[in-house]
Amino acid sequence: MSSTRDWLLDETPATRLQAQLGQGYRTLRALLRNPLTVVGLVIIIGLLLTAAFAPWIAPYSPIEGQLTARLLPPSAEHWMGTDELGRDIFSRVVYGARITLFIVLLVAIISAPLGLVIGAISGYFGGAIDRIMMGITDIFLSMPRLILALAFVAALGPGIENAVIAIAITAWPVYARLARAETLTVRKAEFIAAVRMQGASHGRIILRHILPLCMSSTIVRVTLDMAGIILTAAGLGFLGLGAQPPLPEWGAMISRGRAFILDQWWVATMPGFAIVIVSLGFCLFGDGLRDVLDPRQRSK
Amino acid sequence: MSTLLEVQNLKVRFPTERGEVEVVKGISFSLGRERLGIVGESGSGKSMTGRSVMGLIGKPGRVTADRMMFDGIDLTKTDEAGYRRLRGARMSMVMQDPKFSLNPVMRIGEQIGEALAFHARMSAKARKAKVLDALEAVRINDPERVYNLYPHEVSGGMGQRVMIAMMVILEPDLMIADEPTSALDVSVRAQVLEIMDDLVRRRGMGLMLISHDLNMVSHWCDRILVMFNGQIVEECAAGKLHEAKHPYTQGLVASLPRLNETRERLPVLDRAALEKLA
Amino acid sequence: MIDVDSLNVFYGSTAVVKDVSFSVATGESFALVGESGSGKSTILKALAGQVDSWSGSIALGNMPLGHKRTKAMMRHVQMVFQDPYGSLHPRKTVDDALTEPLAIHGIGARDERVLSMLDAVGLARKFRFRLPHQLSGGQRQRVAIARALMLEPELLLLDEPTSALDVSVQAEILNLLKSLREERGLTYLLVTHDLPVVSFLCDRLGVLRHGKLEEVAPVSALKAGALTSDYGRELVERSQVF
Repeated sequence: MSSTRDWLLDETPATRLQAQLGQGYRTLRALLRNPLTVVGLVIIIGLLLTAAFAPWIAPYSPIEGQLTARLLPPSAEHWMGTDELGRDIFSRVVYGARITLFIVLLVAIISAPLGLVIGAISGYFGGAIDRIMMGITDIFLSMPRLILALAFVAALGPGIENAVIAIAITAWPVYARLARAETLTVRKAEFIAAVRMQGASHGRIILRHILPLCMSSTIVRVTLDMAGIILTAAGLGFLGLGAQPPLPEWGAMISRGRAFILDQWWVATMPGFAIVIVSLGFCLFGDGLRDVLDPRQRSK
Repeated sequence: MSTLLEVQNLKVRFPTERGEVEVVKGISFSLGRERLGIVGESGSGKSMTGRSVMGLIGKPGRVTADRMMFDGIDLTKTDEAGYRRLRGARMSMVMQDPKFSLNPVMRIGEQIGEALAFHARMSAKARKAKVLDALEAVRINDPERVYNLYPHEVSGGMGQRVMIAMMVILEPDLMIADEPTSALDVSVRAQVLEIMDDLVRRRGMGLMLISHDLNMVSHWCDRILVMFNGQIVEECAAGKLHEAKHPYTQGLVASLPRLNETRERLPVLDRAALEKLA
Repeated sequence: MIDVDSLNVFYGSTAVVKDVSFSVATGESFALVGESGSGKSTILKALAGQVDSWSGSIALGNMPLGHKRTKAMMRHVQMVFQDPYGSLHPRKTVDDALTEPLAIHGIGARDERVLSMLDAVGLARKFRFRLPHQLSGGQRQRVAIARALMLEPELLLLDEPTSALDVSVQAEILNLLKSLREERGLTYLLVTHDLPVVSFLCDRLGVLRHGKLEEVAPVSALKAGALTSDYGRELVERSQVF
């Protein structure tokens, strides 16, 4: 065990692989040193496991209910009670983790690379390209996210895929701004001038030398934004424009539980808890990541 | 010559992943109203020495000393509030690059005046007059104009003179200059050094000049301390650097190229042997 | 090797380099000296293709260098920068930095080339997979020199390559540059304000002031204190004080 650690922490790695694994191990160790980050990481891993093993965890079907067991309060049988159609809320929350994860990952995969590339190109070339691209970015940035997403869903039609597209379209400008700012700080750097002198093309410089420097701040930002994405998705669901019934999306569940909020509080509250906990998990983990990955904090 | 600063067994430690690292390893020296040069290469602990006297080593660094007396004040017992009263008024520090030490959104005159307002009560008019005097003292020809400029509107040399004006306006007894001229051109260097020299002579200030530049220090100081690896390895009178006895100092002097260079290869320090020696 | 004829470089509408002409023979080491603002670094940048707004002519051997450089041209001229901290990519290992030029030009046998270059610049092989922040200033500058030599250029542009280093490390790098030139028959164009460095490393020097070339002299004149221009003598005088 300790020999593996020594191998990873070796100051003179013998191979490329060892050097990379060593860097990864150092980052991980630095991450785990902060207890709040660990809490966030545990929540995120919990979400992943829940989504992966939903059929085994959930005691009942998330879709079919027993009308005889409507609106039961939390008990040993139904840990989070049942909703107005007699469906087990715990099972629905567990299956809802899949939908949430699906939305979050898809939005991140679409919007982060899009924003990164637009921002890096804009910052690298500057001039007219920069002005046009940042103009478009600013237009998107200036509109409230939920309203813009609403407009897109209204145009595309309700449904979970359209919600994802709508959120992704509203999420990328932040990453573009970030990547542009990072690019501006490095594009005049001597190491960029050095590769340019070696004959590297613009594409190669952006992809291999500039983007890696924007990555860590973007990863941090994406993680911190996850909470906002979850909330926007829940908001769309709440307004009936996201996932459609009978899908157990958390926001839609709250929306339906609203009718019973005074007498049967658990119907709306339980999915609400799930949203809060998962958002918090991403926030805590994102904060920890920033402390570790931000090059300005690591320069020493 | 009265002793202004006396330091005995000063240590500065920083915790790292692999335990505590001592960057200054128990050094002792004293400073009168003179020009003391501290030379050494990066990592020798010379800057840390200056900063620890100013009480500027932040957490998690730790400073200990058997004795650190500044003009009758025990610095080992001085807390942050006490240091704030001392800094500026009694002791001050000039850093390498004025760009990072000046507030970019404040006019130069106001910045100098602010230090004055913090330490002494006087009318705004008297303050301005004093600031203009200080600017004139650092040989700025048109103090009125410079008073109203922002830091980015002045050159590096001018910026450094402004920094010095800011330091001397309160007439400190001790000035610590950490690489004050490394960011400047050779022609401006001389002016800045002359100003500091003048302050030592006329106002009886004690100057600690920290630099990596052997020639400059030996030319401008009364005494030189050579630091290596957190220790003082040699103390010698200025101008006597070429008679240095310690192999590190000798190595440093030898490794400098000369204007009429005839050597095919420059001698290189044998670090391993030196570390064994130390 | 290199012929510069009536070079003017503009920043906006002001000329920072005015009508400068000089030539450097193959295998020669030529220094441009002057204070900041003298335009010495700007000339280097124009040669390196990093500034665009210049007029006059620059020729490398028989090949005129235009404003746009082709990939093939870049193999002949490489540069070593002043700041060893800013000239290496913070996230790329020594190995990445050295293989990148080979990858750009599609040159094979990368492992052997990297290892033999590490040996040539006196950097132990164990440093191969380290990141810049795990290296000292002198080691970084060795990496920067190695990177510049990977493409086997004939001309090396040196922009104050030792001014950010400690004196003992400066001696090591100067020795390295000197022996590399002897072994590989390189041509150097050095920009510096440090006259003793010129005396050690160069054959001839040009004195620049306010963008104008005041004089070109052999280094023997510098050593003998026999520069002809007033400004050249002034520089020598000042560097004796410090």
